[in-house]
Amino acid sequence: MGEIFRQLSGLLEHLGEKRIAVVHLFGAEIRFDVMAILMSWVVIILLVLLALWLRRGLRRPVEEKPTRTQAALDGLIDLLKTQLADNFASERLAIMMFPFISTLFLYVLLCNWLGVFPYMMSPTQDINVTFGLALMVAVMSHVLAARFNGVRKWLKSFVEPYPFMLPINLVGVIANPLSHAFRLFGNILAGTILVTVIMVKFAPIFIPPVLNIFFGLFFGGIQAFVFAILAVAYINVAVEG
Amino acid sequence: MLQEAQTVASGISGAHIAEAAKYIAAGLCMGIGAIGPAIGEGLAAAHALDGMARQPEMQGALLRTMVLGQAISETTGIYSLLIAIVLLFVI
Repeated sequence: MGEIFRQLSGLLEHLGEKRIAVVHLFGAEIRFDVMAILMSWVVIILLVLLALWLRRGLRRPVEEKPTRTQAALDGLIDLLKTQLADNFASERLAIMMFPFISTLFLYVLLCNWLGVFPYMMSPTQDINVTFGLALMVAVMSHVLAARFNGVRKWLKSFVEPYPFMLPINLVGVIANPLSHAFRLFGNILAGTILVTVIMVKFAPIFIPPVLNIFFGLFFGGIQAFVFAILAVAYINVAVEG
Repeated sequence: MLQEAQTVASGISGAHIAEAAKYIAAGLCMGIGAIGPAIGEGLAAAHALDGMARQPEMQGALLRTMVLGQAISETTGIYSLLIAIVLLFVI
């Protein structure tokens, strides 16, 4: 028992550690966390492999009797489509945003679930990853607002309802992606720290798997859902005004 | 007794006090910061449950809106959590 504790205590020392790589590019110094990037690639490769594997179950002529995989996928995509159609104001926007939102959801979900496996780390416990995703959603919402309503109306939305509200609206523009990013990052990081601390300090056997299932799988799923739904809400509010 | 206490106290430096204050601050930050989101999320769940009991056919939409509202009201708790983490691991 003491041996297990001694081996695990190394984990706690490396809890906040990051493997930072520095790249000099065009005179600028770029720093990034190697582990987060590696794990993001793992998630991307997993998603691509999953898509390729699921595609094998499809039959080209649609008139034939669908395979089991095909039926399940049809049901899943119908479910996602109706969910999005309910949340978005217009049907056109929902169909347009369907690939973006579902990809965002799947990516964040796999990122959160990756932290459950040993020697793996959730890319989403790095603030840069979540911030990149949130920034993408924010830019997307403003671009879509300008495209759907015209640039004039989009600019005018900053001085509504009264012109003196401009600073408050500008703070909102910055605060939305900020809270969007921090929410995902904080939840995943807190789960990881809690599981690691309990594993190292109190109980190395039996309890960590249960906590991992609760924090990793359950909370990871909820947070991925919340992230996608909030992206939908931000885009919808920006377009609707 | 007094002399003993004095010798112990003379061994405490400013760094020790800062270290202790760090942990106390992190604990206070999390403990007080968790009150608001907990009450808010509980209220959201209670009212969503009320609505579901009254209109069971609205369950899907109510659940979705409830989770969204809870996620937003959770933000303040997440901010205090981040500050606690910064206090513990960074400073």
